[in-house]
Amino acid sequence: MKTAAELKSGEKVIINNVNMQHPSAKRLLEVGFTPGQEIELVNKSVFNDPIAISLRGTVIALRKSDADCIIIS
Amino acid sequence: MTPNSSSGNLFITLVGSPNSGKTTLFNYLSGKNYKTVNYPGATVSSALANLQRKFNLKALLMDSPGIISLNPESTDEKIAVNSLFNHPKLGKPDLVIITVDTSQLSRHLYLVKQIVNANFNVIVALTMSDILNQKGLDIDEDKLSKIIHCKAFKVDSRSGKGVEKLLNYVNNIKDKLKDNHLVSPKLSDLNTTEEVLRIYNELELVEEQTIFELNENKNIDLTEANKQLNLITNNTLKSKCNQIDARTTKIDKILLHKTWGLLFFFLIMSFTFTSIFWFAQPIMDFISFIFQVLSTETLILVGNNWFGMFIANGIISGVGSVVVFIPQILILFLILGFLEDSGYLARGAMLIDRPLSKIGLNGKSFVPMLSGFACAIPAMMAARTIPNRRERMLTIFILPMLSCSARLPVYTLLLAFLFPGDKAWIAGLVLASIYLFSTVSSVLIAAIINKLNNKIIKDEDNSSFILELPAYRKPKLKVVTINMLHSGKLYIKKAGPIILVLSIFIWFFTTFPNIDPQVNENNITQEQVDQLKNSERLATSYAADLGKLIQPIMAPLGLDWRVGVSLIAAFAAREVFVSSMVLIFKVTDSHGSLIDSMIGAMRNAKIGNTEQKLFTPSSIIGIIIFFMFALQCLATVAVSRKETGSWRIPILQLLIFSTLAYVLSFITVSGLRFLGMS
Repeated sequence: MKTAAELKSGEKVIINNVNMQHPSAKRLLEVGFTPGQEIELVNKSVFNDPIAISLRGTVIALRKSDADCIIIS
Repeated sequence: MTPNSSSGNLFITLVGSPNSGKTTLFNYLSGKNYKTVNYPGATVSSALANLQRKFNLKALLMDSPGIISLNPESTDEKIAVNSLFNHPKLGKPDLVIITVDTSQLSRHLYLVKQIVNANFNVIVALTMSDILNQKGLDIDEDKLSKIIHCKAFKVDSRSGKGVEKLLNYVNNIKDKLKDNHLVSPKLSDLNTTEEVLRIYNELELVEEQTIFELNENKNIDLTEANKQLNLITNNTLKSKCNQIDARTTKIDKILLHKTWGLLFFFLIMSFTFTSIFWFAQPIMDFISFIFQVLSTETLILVGNNWFGMFIANGIISGVGSVVVFIPQILILFLILGFLEDSGYLARGAMLIDRPLSKIGLNGKSFVPMLSGFACAIPAMMAARTIPNRRERMLTIFILPMLSCSARLPVYTLLLAFLFPGDKAWIAGLVLASIYLFSTVSSVLIAAIINKLNNKIIKDEDNSSFILELPAYRKPKLKVVTINMLHSGKLYIKKAGPIILVLSIFIWFFTTFPNIDPQVNENNITQEQVDQLKNSERLATSYAADLGKLIQPIMAPLGLDWRVGVSLIAAFAAREVFVSSMVLIFKVTDSHGSLIDSMIGAMRNAKIGNTEQKLFTPSSIIGIIIFFMFALQCLATVAVSRKETGSWRIPILQLLIFSTLAYVLSFITVSGLRFLGMS
């Protein structure tokens, strides 16, 4: 099971599911990380974490631990 | 009955996602009619303003912190949602205007959908359609209005285009809005996952139906071809819709880069700090000069009696100690405003999130900590944007450690003593190290408190960092300046009265009971008589009694009651230390600057009746250490109580920081003397 935390730079994928057990899941869903959406890893921060993901016309920075609940395959 | 429902005025609440252009629209609509204001970098409380008169519509407008949904996560979002549903004074709004960034329509319509479902009267203001146009797309506002069941208008808050149309519409329906008071808003089932997914599915359809490609001549063939393959049209439209600003990605490749990103971060931070100190210093000197002249002139005009002293030393000096910090605060907020408006602040928070998370803080602690270098009070309020309660409490806890601008005059005086005349450049370097040292110490203290688990900060919460990185934009000077002036105004409003009242208290305790002391007037000028009287008055005041009481505590630091009194006086505001020292050390020299004669007096000061010098390099360094750690600001304690919701944290802050200050100062002085320093 691959999650958005494991994305490589420039990798474009479709969100498959969101793990609702994760405490950040609710927020991420409301921000727009819904199943079926295309996301792309556009940048990483200096320490490789947080990561910047493009979604619905904007860029969201999130920690890898948050991105872990976005399942992409 | 709410006050607005009885009057003819409409009560309009402005709501929107962060970065949706909400504050820009608020500023355009309200002009300079604002009543209360927000801090840049963090709109943390609601603001009220009357609509500008030129719009011909009587309405009260409320701006509130940006929210992405009606399920609040952080305190500022809670404030926004609460004041939307039921403002404590104004009740329910007659109308809600929601700003929606058209270049990310589905995300921003999510909030609209929730608010419409909650039974509010809603008008949508579609912003940033120029960005949509750049992508070769446009939006059909009429179609959108029909689908989402509320009127939508394209607006440009910078030029005002479209705003008039929106307000005309409001004017036409305002009577209907007033009648609509019977329906009360309610939170519908917002919390289920299914509901979120259902809304987003619906909104993706809305996006497909309302956004269309601008037909440019050369593209006609392509569009025709696409029309025949309906599926492809939708896909290209969709990917075009979700396209992000290419220039922003490119800039981010540098500003978030492993080496360049860090380098720029440090450059930007160094620039910010150096500007706070060096640009503000001449203005601050000028302001303190003005107030000194005012105070002296008042004494001459009213006379050297208790009333004259009350006006001159109590009121004027009190006001002066508030006003003198305004330049620094304005400069800090000007730079913060530029950083925010350009989009960099979010990147700064992202860059520093990882290191800060190691010590129990959050990338979102970045803006509060930055503000802490001007004043801990707005900084503690800015901490409202941190969703995790534990991280927020920890941020508030360490904020008093950061070197606020009130410490600057104290350091300036003490460093001028240590490095006189031609060695002044060393003072500059030492000052920079003081700032670095206090920042490092605050980080260490955060790490220690975090390690102590629940002993000091009891809250536990899910730690996360989710923040939108807005596209880079050229900062708008007008927006930044308005925000800067607003923050200055809020500083005066929040901190001003507290500092003023305390200054008057301290004036009282340093003046009474011996208001007109007897001094030997032989062979000296009137001016010197007055100065002697001032000193004598202070030496026999209530404050001096108190100072003598704490003499045993001051002795281990190599100091006496006179410094003790100044330290107590500094609880009103740290910079009061300097003016109190001036009073207490018989500064009679009218030649040269106040600082020079002050330093001369300090050099001659002896402990008690001995020949031992009071101020030596080691005792001065001891005082500097004391100021770095001590929480000597009652206003900060009061705000900490308000923001943390109990007395626990402020009392712990007061105890821990003051004990640390004393112990570290003692260790430093003893250590330096042991090593042979005088």
